[in-house]
Amino acid sequence: MQASVRIQTEDFSLDEEIAALKGSSKRMGGIGTFLGCARDFSEGREVEQISFDAYGSMALSEMQKLRSDAIAKFDLLDARIVHRIGTVRGGDNIVLIAAGAEHRVAALEACRWMIDELKQRVPIWKKETTPLGDDWVTPHP
Amino acid sequence: MIKVLFFGPIAAASGARELSIAHSPGMTLGHLKNMLAAAHPEAMRLAVMLAVNGEHARDLAMPLSDNSEVAFMAKFSGG
Repeated sequence: MQASVRIQTEDFSLDEEIAALKGSSKRMGGIGTFLGCARDFSEGREVEQISFDAYGSMALSEMQKLRSDAIAKFDLLDARIVHRIGTVRGGDNIVLIAAGAEHRVAALEACRWMIDELKQRVPIWKKETTPLGDDWVTPHP
Repeated sequence: MIKVLFFGPIAAASGARELSIAHSPGMTLGHLKNMLAAAHPEAMRLAVMLAVNGEHARDLAMPLSDNSEVAFMAKFSGG
């Protein structure tokens, strides 16, 4: 089984990640997921591709802390975080957050919390390539 | 030596991903930031987050030991 927290260039399988999450406990009654995808249009421009840069060792460490924090804060049974780096195109997967808990509220709230925290804590940057040139993205709220 | 790391927009603006800066006794994170701001003003204007040895750092008075790894980072945009 792959690690619960990963940074990778290759795509990931939602089915495999959910199966791994479910496999960790039969007490799991709810799973919340967030799938972040690449858009082909942003700020009024076509986006040809998105490239990611990361402070790899710190990003992985922060994502592992984020998972542990979420498990403690929301009493989760398990959680998984996978973020791609490298180059992606419109429609491609970027990030998957999955939270498993005994009940749905904790799973959903933990999932929302983790993606919001990831954006604040994890050193990853995205650059959009458009017909007008390349732009490093200013974070959205 | 202090290993300085730049990523994403700061690496693009400075034209460098890694620099080596001589360590001196009593050197702080603030001293290093000021030195880099003089050499790379445009890039360092983007540096709103700092990390020392892979951990978030906010105190510019933090002393730096020799062989530290310091990252000056623009606002994150992952996810």
